[in-house]
Amino acid sequence: MRVATIVLAAAMFGASCAGVGRPQVQNAPRPPGASMWVEPTDLATRDLYNGPWGAENAPDPKDVYDLVELKHSGVNLGMTVKDSKGREWSVKQPFPGNLDSEAPVEVTISRLLSAIGYHQPPVYFLPAFTLKDDFGRHVERGGRFRLKMDGMKETDSWDWAANPFVRSKEYQGLIVLLTMFNSTDLKNTNNSLYERKDGDLLEHWYLSRDVGSALGDTHRMAPRKNHIDSFEQLPFILGVTNGFVDFAYKGWYTNLVRERITPEDVAWACTLLGQLSDQQLQDAFRAAHFEPEIATRFIAKLREKIQQGRSLTLAAARD
Amino acid sequence: MKTRIFGNYWRFAAIITNLAFVLLCAPLDVAAQDTLPVPDGLSEPRGLIAEPGPITRATLFADRHLGKGDLNNGFYVDFGKMIPGAGWLSAGPGYRKWFGRDTMLLDGSAAYSWNGYKTVQARAVLPKFAKSRLALGTQVRWMDYGDVDYFGVGPDTLEGARTQFAIQATHIAAHATLRPTRWFDIDAQIGLLSPSLKDSPLNRTMPSADQPTFVPSELSMTIDTRNYREHPTSGLLLRGAASHYEDRDTGAFTHQRYEGELAGFIPMAGERVVLAVHGWLVTTPRDNDTSVPFYMLPSLGGSNSLRSFADYRFHDRNMVVANAELRIAMMTHVDLAMFTDAGNVAARIHDLDLEKRSYGAGLRFHTRRQTFARIDVAQGNEGWRFLFRLTDPFALSRLERRAAVVPFVP
Repeated sequence: MRVATIVLAAAMFGASCAGVGRPQVQNAPRPPGASMWVEPTDLATRDLYNGPWGAENAPDPKDVYDLVELKHSGVNLGMTVKDSKGREWSVKQPFPGNLDSEAPVEVTISRLLSAIGYHQPPVYFLPAFTLKDDFGRHVERGGRFRLKMDGMKETDSWDWAANPFVRSKEYQGLIVLLTMFNSTDLKNTNNSLYERKDGDLLEHWYLSRDVGSALGDTHRMAPRKNHIDSFEQLPFILGVTNGFVDFAYKGWYTNLVRERITPEDVAWACTLLGQLSDQQLQDAFRAAHFEPEIATRFIAKLREKIQQGRSLTLAAARD
Repeated sequence: MKTRIFGNYWRFAAIITNLAFVLLCAPLDVAAQDTLPVPDGLSEPRGLIAEPGPITRATLFADRHLGKGDLNNGFYVDFGKMIPGAGWLSAGPGYRKWFGRDTMLLDGSAAYSWNGYKTVQARAVLPKFAKSRLALGTQVRWMDYGDVDYFGVGPDTLEGARTQFAIQATHIAAHATLRPTRWFDIDAQIGLLSPSLKDSPLNRTMPSADQPTFVPSELSMTIDTRNYREHPTSGLLLRGAASHYEDRDTGAFTHQRYEGELAGFIPMAGERVVLAVHGWLVTTPRDNDTSVPFYMLPSLGGSNSLRSFADYRFHDRNMVVANAELRIAMMTHVDLAMFTDAGNVAARIHDLDLEKRSYGAGLRFHTRRQTFARIDVAQGNEGWRFLFRLTDPFALSRLERRAAVVPFVP
């Protein structure tokens, strides 16, 4: 009986923590208007503090937000709220105690990805906000605010193993970038397919959305997130074997990166990210209210990884 | 009889209302709960011992996989919530779903414990009537507990007199909760409880294993300003409850139960030190022609009451227990705890004293809002006891239960 209880408990927890098996990747047909990435033509002038959706779509920190409903999925706390303009926001909050909060990480990584051309939804960070529920107003822990916009809605998720962009440079580059950020929650349900209407134009955006489980280590058991010491300690690239890059990534999703990524893929992504200025990188962290000293350490480690990634192709050329 | 019962309810309600009024007029900070100060928990205490990585990872795991309570839709693990005696671990599958923007919750789960206890429950809750001031709900719970310790009635029973009984029960309950403010609620519930004793050493000595069907009803009032229910570091809890158990078969076991409970959590040195105090009084008044089934008598002893004594060590019509625990933060998520417990049972309420005592120390492993593991070493009149549990000793899980459990759980 006792063994059965332990086996039952372990099996249920195991099921909730499992990663992915090695997927047999395949291209799905690319529907009209489908894209994951658009080449940035104004990268040097992009505003990483307000992000691609600008200050005009940001939440007002002085507003009073009505509670619509609490968050009923995922491992983070949160809620849906409505502001005085009638806009609905999905708020992801830290747990009390703020241990390894994902909310600021998600905003920063979203800023970095969107700056170099990857589609991202409108996300912002508020450290605290005023919430009005049935019992009155109070100050609530803030977090990531994601705007639900008219003309843009999530219609589905997409699969790392089967999508229209498999083996394209943007697909390979996205895996490189998420690996560089030590992203540990690369499950398919965090990949969102958005339908966006712009006049008569209907676009299908393939984006990696809930990217907050990152900037820490890639341990399989309760990986650290938003933890600079862990992020600094973990190397990025171990070497190149049979033409594929060996990453130090140890998370549940190693199958996504093992024997799949070439030095050229890494160099493409690193060159793109490396074009962002120090000020732009600082702005990306400032947008999520990181302390300046912590942000500087994260940026230094990212610069180190970018340099290592770029040097792979140089080394290959020398060889 | 009905007039007397309702008379008791009204007297009890008046006492609690007066008590609540006195508390509200006292210089407590409960009224400030409607305008919460700056959200807490955004900085870690300084000057603590560096925490080993595995403890921090265990805390992260507890935060994310055990810390969301009833919030998540879908399948979940019903984990570690069984009564004392079930053993240190219980687990089972559950499924819940919120509907209509939090206006209805449907939930069902089953669990199996280290010592072979089994429970199955299903419930429906409508929490948002009258702008969340009124909640209605119903729950059905089936319980099958084997090998529950029993030592006889009275404060002077011997530890060596231990025997065991096994009990199965089904309880259907409906409840209504009035919540005028965030921290005050009045709860009323009524149900149908059908216990039966199963084959076991104690049951074989009894004249009949057939037990009456009860209609339990309860009225309770609770003031609760604790900051977190499963790891409180500040706030106050005051609860009073009056219960009536109507024996539908013969009337011979019809009885009442009254409870008063107080818990306070006083933070010191910026929450690096927390003093927790707790007191609980339960009485089942003696009537001329009725008695109380032994498994429904107030009981005392075990991991949440007298920690150096066995679970359910003492039974009688009246019970009192007082606990004090001083918690000192050693690491960010580990507290050193020193505690003392005292209490007793008695046939008459004025014979109650605090003669049975436990002293001890332990460790609390916790997130900001939940104790997810604890180790206690306790010493008392009956020797030493080592405890490992996955819950806080002051979580007071009886506040969360809608269906009463048999046996009485201290």
